[in-house]
Amino acid sequence: MHVIESIIMALASVRSHMLRSSLTLLSIGIGVFAIIASSGITGTLTQTLSSQLADLGENSMLIQRTPTLQFGGNWRKYQSRPDLTPEIARGLRHQMTTTQLISVSNTSNGYTVETTADASNPDVAVIGIDDLYFQVNAVSLQQGRSFTEQEVTLGSNVAIIGTDLLPLFNGTSPLGQRIKIRNQEFIVVGVLERKGGVLGQSQDNRVLLPLSIFIKYYSSRWDTSVDIAIKAYGKDAVSATFEEAVGIMRGLRDLKPWQENDFEIDLNEALAGQFNNLSAAIVVVAWVSGIGALLAAGIGIMNMMLVSVKERTREIGVRKALGAKRRWITRQFLIESITLCQLGGFTGVLGGLAVSYSATLLVRSSALPSLSFVWPLEAIIFSVVACTVIGVGFGFYPAWKAARLDPIEALRYE
Amino acid sequence: MESDSTAIIQIENIAKVYEMGEEQVHALRDVSLTINGNEYIALMGPSGSGKSTLMNMLGCLDTPSSGSYLFKGENVSEMSDDDLAEIRNREIGFVFQTFNLLPRASALQNVELPLVYSGMSKRDRLDRAADALHRVGLDNRMDHRPNELSGGQRQRVAIARALVTDPAIILADEPTGNLDSRTGQDIMGLFDELWKAGNTIILVTHEEDIARHAHRIVRLRDGKVESDTENAHAPLV
Ligand SMILES: Nc1ncnc2c1ncn2[C@@H]1O[C@H](COP(=O)(O)OP(=O)(O)O)[C@@H](O)[C@H]1O
Ligand SMILES: [Mg+2]
Repeated sequence: MHVIESIIMALASVRSHMLRSSLTLLSIGIGVFAIIASSGITGTLTQTLSSQLADLGENSMLIQRTPTLQFGGNWRKYQSRPDLTPEIARGLRHQMTTTQLISVSNTSNGYTVETTADASNPDVAVIGIDDLYFQVNAVSLQQGRSFTEQEVTLGSNVAIIGTDLLPLFNGTSPLGQRIKIRNQEFIVVGVLERKGGVLGQSQDNRVLLPLSIFIKYYSSRWDTSVDIAIKAYGKDAVSATFEEAVGIMRGLRDLKPWQENDFEIDLNEALAGQFNNLSAAIVVVAWVSGIGALLAAGIGIMNMMLVSVKERTREIGVRKALGAKRRWITRQFLIESITLCQLGGFTGVLGGLAVSYSATLLVRSSALPSLSFVWPLEAIIFSVVACTVIGVGFGFYPAWKAARLDPIEALRYE
Repeated sequence: MESDSTAIIQIENIAKVYEMGEEQVHALRDVSLTINGNEYIALMGPSGSGKSTLMNMLGCLDTPSSGSYLFKGENVSEMSDDDLAEIRNREIGFVFQTFNLLPRASALQNVELPLVYSGMSKRDRLDRAADALHRVGLDNRMDHRPNELSGGQRQRVAIARALVTDPAIILADEPTGNLDSRTGQDIMGLFDELWKAGNTIILVTHEEDIARHAHRIVRLRDGKVESDTENAHAPLV
């Protein structure tokens, strides 16, 4: 095995054809970069979306004013829909016979939470909930208690915090302590079970407040509509509960039989399905475009190797005259083509690392100090494997051609 | 023809025909030769007489269209590409008119190359390559690349590369053709020494001055052996 010699030879030939080599290497780099970057984005998106889903419990459905995912130009239609309000929720609660588990919540982002000792970054999510929130949603308490019905209707100044906020209390128990969110003071009565973070999107950086006080002070100016979560009593009851909820909603909204729903209602599973379809589509697009780029780069490599074989015809003749068998010549050019691909892939990985690292720094300094850079080890392994496959796949024909050259013709080549 | 135990090369009635479209070019017709160990032969003849074709055949770079070729008793005319490569690697050293050194490799690496293909270990390769360079008087030029060497020095590197595998024959096609006459005579002095040390040398030339170094002169014309004579003027040993 004289692999090292062949690699050194490959590097030398890259050096002696700097411009042509760098263009080809660049195209390989772009292919690898495209796949790494797009699979990174897909990963982040999928995990973020599905973690939002994770809040909604089993056998549950969600009524929203507009769909979570919107495609195409239906924006106007959705925008003209009336808000969902706590009154609507009350109407549902009053009329539904298949369940009593109906919870209302709304979320608003970007608040600072202050304690006597410390203050958080302005990136805390504030969620207004009712007393059934913990029964309907897949969220539970680690310490303390939930809100009482009274606290919810009166809008008492009580709060439940996520575990990300614990450091604000300097190691003391947060229960019974005061926190301040935009001039309103609350007493902490509970701490949520830790949900963990997904690619920098922490699910624990939140404060739960009684719905009425939320609506008074924290409701988003653009979207005051609440979300209504309904839980069926069991798996078998899901479709009946779904049908009943749709019927009662239409009644509450006074819809005529020919009018379509002016709200969205989705089962937990259906939402999951939508997310899965979306992420599958992104994965397909990412791989198709990335593989397209790599194939284009592979053809570039093949051209480069064919030119290299042609230019070195005489050298091949000399090698054959000195006793190189076909497999030696094949091996030499294959190693050369793999080396070229790896160089390109390495460039792509470096580019991908540089871009994702700076993106991390940017997001960290502006929004998420807890964000830590994740080394895309899988992507690097992918790059090495893909580059080897491309190097062999597209280098084979030129190498085969070189190995079969007639030594006399090759020696005579000018 | 009776078989000679010291014969390295025995060719009998070989022909080489090139197809040029409709036309057939008879590069060699009915050539027979026997070459023994430690011979010093010059192949001569006008341009187009078939010298290079015969040389390629003797060097196992090509196979004859008809006739038989025995190399150390082995039938070469029916060998595969890879078998021929192995014979070339083990038994034949080539010296070309245009040197044919690898431009990006040092003198030492160039000389080492045939040993790479014979599968020798790195250390043995370097020892033997350095030894061969010493024999051609280039001890102090081992790390130089071809473009840092004079024409005569390049041809010395090429000769070192030809003898590093200790081959049965050294084939040189117009080895002095690209050198001035003085340097050419130096190179011929080197071939003389190799012959004295026991090597078998076959060289193609059209210069009488160069051919004079050989002990046997084979003249070709129109693809046939015109004469095959002892060289009375050969320098005495
Ligand atoms: N590859 C080839 N294809 C066709 N004709 C060839 C080829 N090689 C040599 N010839 C012809 O064979 C004859 C002998 O050529 P060559 O052996 O090169 O002669 P020399 O070396 O004595 O000048 C010439 O007529 C030449 O044109
Ligand atoms: Mg010739």
